[in-house]
Amino acid sequence: MNSGSGPMPDRIRRLLERLIQASVMERIAISVAALFAAVLVGGVLVFISGSFASCRSGLDVAGTTFCYNPMQVYYELFLGALGHPLEGGWSLTNYNLATTLQQTTLLIFAGLSVAVAFRAGLLNIGTQGQLVVGGLATAVTVVFAASIIPSGFVGTVVLIPIGVLAGAIGGGLYGAIPGVLKAYADANEVITTIMLNFIAVGITSTLLSWQFQDPESNNPRTEPIPEYAEIPTVPYIGFSGGMDFSLLALGFAIALMIGIAWLFARTSFGYELRTSGIQPAAAAYGGVNEKRMTVASMTLSGALGGIAGAFWVLMVHGSWLENVPSIGFDGIAVSVLAGNNPLGVGAAAFLFGILESGSNSIGTATDVPPELVGILTGLIILFVAMPEFFRMIGTRYIDVRPTEPARTDGGRAPADETTEDPRGADDA
Amino acid sequence: MRKRLGRARDTLAANPTATAVGIFGLVLLFLVATPASWQTSTLRLAVPIALAAIGGIFAEKSGVINIGIEGLLIVSAFSSIIAVHRLGDGGATMGLSNLWWGLLIGVLVSVVVALVFAVVCIDFKADQIIAGLAIWLISLGLAPFVSRIVFGSPNTAGISRFGNVTIPGLSELPILGYLLFDTEPQVYLMLAGALGGWFLLTRTTFGRWVVASGENPKALDTAGVDVRKVRYAAVLLSGVFAGLGGAGFALGTLGTFAGGGDTAINGRGFIAIATYLLANYHPVGALLGSFLFAGLNSLQTALQSAGYAIPTELIRTLPHMSVIVVLVLVGRTRLPDAAGEHYESGED
Repeated sequence: MNSGSGPMPDRIRRLLERLIQASVMERIAISVAALFAAVLVGGVLVFISGSFASCRSGLDVAGTTFCYNPMQVYYELFLGALGHPLEGGWSLTNYNLATTLQQTTLLIFAGLSVAVAFRAGLLNIGTQGQLVVGGLATAVTVVFAASIIPSGFVGTVVLIPIGVLAGAIGGGLYGAIPGVLKAYADANEVITTIMLNFIAVGITSTLLSWQFQDPESNNPRTEPIPEYAEIPTVPYIGFSGGMDFSLLALGFAIALMIGIAWLFARTSFGYELRTSGIQPAAAAYGGVNEKRMTVASMTLSGALGGIAGAFWVLMVHGSWLENVPSIGFDGIAVSVLAGNNPLGVGAAAFLFGILESGSNSIGTATDVPPELVGILTGLIILFVAMPEFFRMIGTRYIDVRPTEPARTDGGRAPADETTEDPRGADDA
Repeated sequence: MRKRLGRARDTLAANPTATAVGIFGLVLLFLVATPASWQTSTLRLAVPIALAAIGGIFAEKSGVINIGIEGLLIVSAFSSIIAVHRLGDGGATMGLSNLWWGLLIGVLVSVVVALVFAVVCIDFKADQIIAGLAIWLISLGLAPFVSRIVFGSPNTAGISRFGNVTIPGLSELPILGYLLFDTEPQVYLMLAGALGGWFLLTRTTFGRWVVASGENPKALDTAGVDVRKVRYAAVLLSGVFAGLGGAGFALGTLGTFAGGGDTAINGRGFIAIATYLLANYHPVGALLGSFLFAGLNSLQTALQSAGYAIPTELIRTLPHMSVIVVLVLVGRTRLPDAAGEHYESGED
């Protein structure tokens, strides 16, 4: 808060701090409540849809057989993602947990990408497209660079940063497009970013079949990057190489997360970005170039999406595949659940990492379609979007107003509802 | 250059008669100059875009931005196919063809999802854009989820589609006859929907309530009309229109529903939003606008059959690219004043 810490009476600052504290606590409470509500609705959905499936054994109720047991599904979803820690022979470095943390890593990047734009007051639904473009840029750049850079340790140290940088530049430039269109032509970024997701798929598959297809593969994919250009695992304490997960990558993601939090809290760019999100008019009055800020925040957001694509290539597959999973859309859910707070993104990404990895366990251990996870993701977003629902339940059954700040100023009028609402402050 | 299209549109709106004559002339010119196969496929591909756009107009005019119409198209499309499959492909139930039952069920499912969206946005004051995105993402998961349970694959089985309904006499008309009076039921629904939507919005009391609820809800409330009920009705109506569009498209054009990835709807709901922004919330304008995007969409098959070796993946994104071009040229449209805002009766 560079320009925010002027001469401010201590009393008001304490009050503000308490307000922020209350809204953070409320946010966490709403996110947790939304998660439970989504799991509950998803469970009912699983149970009911079981009556349409065919199975040999199920629960018979009044002549209808319900094939799916929601408890078993959630057991597989949440504990399967950790490698079944309650069953015998569990080891910390198991394959399922590796997949969970691999997804967590990618989702931290994608979630940060969405969060940066949201905080600037822009809804970037295009992280998916930026990830697709950035990933292809990474794969192509690394394959080309590997032909002129010595292999082995030098190759690893040089190629990985080049690959990540290529992904960031590719995604950043692709993210800049809707930023420019918004700033200079007033084109709504929600629609343009969604359209650019479709266009990204079209352009990259055309480029792939035109130039970059691996001639030795029947699947649509680029030439594999050399093994030494993949993110190395940590010896002794890390997960084994075949698990496609590296603690180094997770460490980088967490470092980047802290870096973005620092950017928001301690730099003038971050301050201007947040002000543009909360009060564009005030930001403009304070000398922020609104158009340039729009382009800059969309570029940064796109670069983070591109980095997610880079790690998808460098850590998971070792090449770019035409069929890119919907990490970018899950990034929206991660950011929304985290209240667009960079540090919250880490926890939310871990949760969605569990869901993604757990969908594999559902697929192998039960007959329930793994697409359940996609539905749960949407439900979580839906419930987080309606905090009023939980406030109503809260006031009706618990009979407290958790949102009411402690009143320290005696006779003054109670705070306006809009200032109490943390949503209004964070992602207007 | 910027906003020139928007300004041109305002000029056109100020001279409705001249505009109507001009558009009619342009359409005739197109009909004479282009191949018939391209025209019929354009008309069919316009169905989901036009009907979803008309529905979206009602919701947004009432003050609720329904960005979830993509989701409504998806759920109505796949549920109509599943309903026909369950009832029996090619058969009839209680004297009504199963295809029509499928259409009804598709619309019903879409209305139910629209109801959820309405409750979330109107009563629980959710952020409309985020809630709309959630409806879309839930539908993206729901389509392959249900398909896998029923068919064991993210794609549904195929059904036999709607056939042409020929109106005797009128179908013999030159130029327009074969196009408008010898076509599939969903195309008739689209044409009727555009005219009906226009009539409802501009010529009835309900239409005036919808507009007032989006522009000045307080005035409507003062006049003794329940803003909440008007908004509910408008959002449910968007569910009806989008349901007709999705189910009509599935039963008349697709005949099967691919639920993987972006699904067979492939962003048409979002294209519909751009369509009504381009048409400045005019239902008949939205119908004409949908021809632009559907025409580009059907260019794909036209170019391929003409033997041009243009990459399919790139041609497929032509409608999406043109949406961006349109948004840039139109610039910011004037949203209804209270769009995206909650209204509480008795609030000061």
